[in-house]
Amino acid sequence: MLKGIGASQGFGIGKAIIIEDVKLDYSAVKYSDAESEKARLSKAVEDFISETKHMADELKLTAGEKEAEILEGHITMLGDPFMLSQMNDSIDAGNVAEAAADSVFQMFYDMFASVEDELMRQRASDVKDIRDTLLRILLGLKSVDISAVPKGSILIAKDFTPSMTSQIKKENVSAIITEIGGVTSHSAILARAMGIPAALSVLNSTEIISDGDLLIVDGFKGEVITEPTGDQIKEYTLKQEAYLKEKESLNVYFNKPTITKSGLVKKVYGNIGKAEDAQNVVQNGGEGIGLFRTEFLFMDRDRAPTEQEQFEAYSTVAKTMDEKEVIIRTLDIGGDKNIPYLDIEKEENPFLGHRAIRYCLDNKELFKTQLRAILRAAVFGDIKIMIPLVTTVDEIKKAKALIKECADELENEGLSYKLVPVGVMIETPSAAIISDLLAKEAAFFSIGTNDLTGYTMAVDRGNAKVSALYDCFQPSVLRAIEMTIKNAKKEGIPVGMCGEAAANTELIPKLIEWGLDEFSVTPSSILQTRKTICENE
Amino acid sequence: MVSKDFTIKNKMGLHMRPAQVFVTEMNKFSSTVNIKFAGKDINGKGIMGIMAACIKCGAEITVECDGADEQAMLDAASALIENGFGEE
Repeated sequence: MLKGIGASQGFGIGKAIIIEDVKLDYSAVKYSDAESEKARLSKAVEDFISETKHMADELKLTAGEKEAEILEGHITMLGDPFMLSQMNDSIDAGNVAEAAADSVFQMFYDMFASVEDELMRQRASDVKDIRDTLLRILLGLKSVDISAVPKGSILIAKDFTPSMTSQIKKENVSAIITEIGGVTSHSAILARAMGIPAALSVLNSTEIISDGDLLIVDGFKGEVITEPTGDQIKEYTLKQEAYLKEKESLNVYFNKPTITKSGLVKKVYGNIGKAEDAQNVVQNGGEGIGLFRTEFLFMDRDRAPTEQEQFEAYSTVAKTMDEKEVIIRTLDIGGDKNIPYLDIEKEENPFLGHRAIRYCLDNKELFKTQLRAILRAAVFGDIKIMIPLVTTVDEIKKAKALIKECADELENEGLSYKLVPVGVMIETPSAAIISDLLAKEAAFFSIGTNDLTGYTMAVDRGNAKVSALYDCFQPSVLRAIEMTIKNAKKEGIPVGMCGEAAANTELIPKLIEWGLDEFSVTPSSILQTRKTICENE
Repeated sequence: MVSKDFTIKNKMGLHMRPAQVFVTEMNKFSSTVNIKFAGKDINGKGIMGIMAACIKCGAEITVECDGADEQAMLDAASALIENGFGEE
């Protein structure tokens, strides 16, 4: 089995077709004279524009307006008069049209690849795509024809460019596999728009897999099963049927507002751990992000992420969510989540120890770096800050004071920022019991049922001998939830829930009755949760 | 030559879409247009240079137009920038 990134949901079974890149070798092209080279270039640009316009029109039908805009952008980019005049200058200097185009595009590629802004950096792949297409036209080569592949094909390429993906006929393609690219790449966006399962960044897949190999692609996990057994094929065929059936039944809830039968308006959000996951929330119809677990940014590395790195991650999420609410939980480390370079002392009882907000208030530099990055990113959307593991009113007061301090610093430095609302994650019995007092300091509550259940029942869910006690339906846990919601309502602040319980179909009716405003769940559970809420009073 | 100072207001700054809108409008005029940003001069009729400059929300720029229809061009540029390039 090969492992990559799951970038578009679903299961695909089919025969491999390896898409080879067209070889763009122009070393044999001879220079005639400047005028005819320029004429060749200008003819190629014309052909590029008409070919690309045609592809954009096709793409509008198969994937939608937004995806087609990428290709229309390519036309404007190639039409840049400055770039064209540089190519002509290069021809005057004695270079063939291909070499002129190649060097000018390389210059812009380097320029985009080195900028700080993540979204702009992605434009480098557009530059490369335009260059490849232009060189191919200049060399008189045919493009790889993906449109003619037979039904049940699994396409494998180093990467799919927008110009390649626009030819894909979704009814014939069971899945796509690439060697590079992540969940925000063109390949991923297009695959999702067309509903084709995709496993991306599957290393060396074009070499390991041969044309005609039978494959199974799991677009959830990003796995590729080579040489599947008959039983596996049966199993995944059933899985895909079940997935499509479920998707069909939930699809009606995609653009539907979350309103109960009695007319109460609720919100269903998604929980994420990485900036890229925001895309999954959008794809599943989420109305916002109720929990962005920032500790993943700090894991699997040898030093803490810089303010700039964090700023990019937070602003990417804000931009992806396009004005929808994004609740960022500040660093929740310690307990089970140890990070080697932070030198957290080994504790007898890590779950009752120096973790989350307790650790952050004692390590102000680390905490302030994160807070500054969040305030700066807040300019790009509707960001809110959530403080984890609060047990006293003093902790939220101190956190708010530090946030104010960061805002003052940014003001003095002349950097753009936005002061954002600060809420409390209710995940300890203490926080639930004093939720009336916390509500006076917090802009919102979000109930974290996973830890709240564990701490209330004093039970380790990983210990098989006692894990049966780990149950959010225990009266004590239910009372803690109810008390928190009612105290939020009394103070007039919004209250959400971001634990697994928020997706529990049996608990949802109670949560609605008590007045919970927002349900934040795993992206794949968003539509089911909305359905359950819409079917309740 | 005429010129005017601006602060970029639209949230996303001059990324692909706004840059495209701006360049398309500027190419309707015969005058030249130069954007001064962070000590650099950028040709306002070419999308690549504008995009690569990463002009973000809050950035301060100067637009200089030079030629027969310079004032009309500057007015058009001004309307687009003040409007946030029609971005919501």
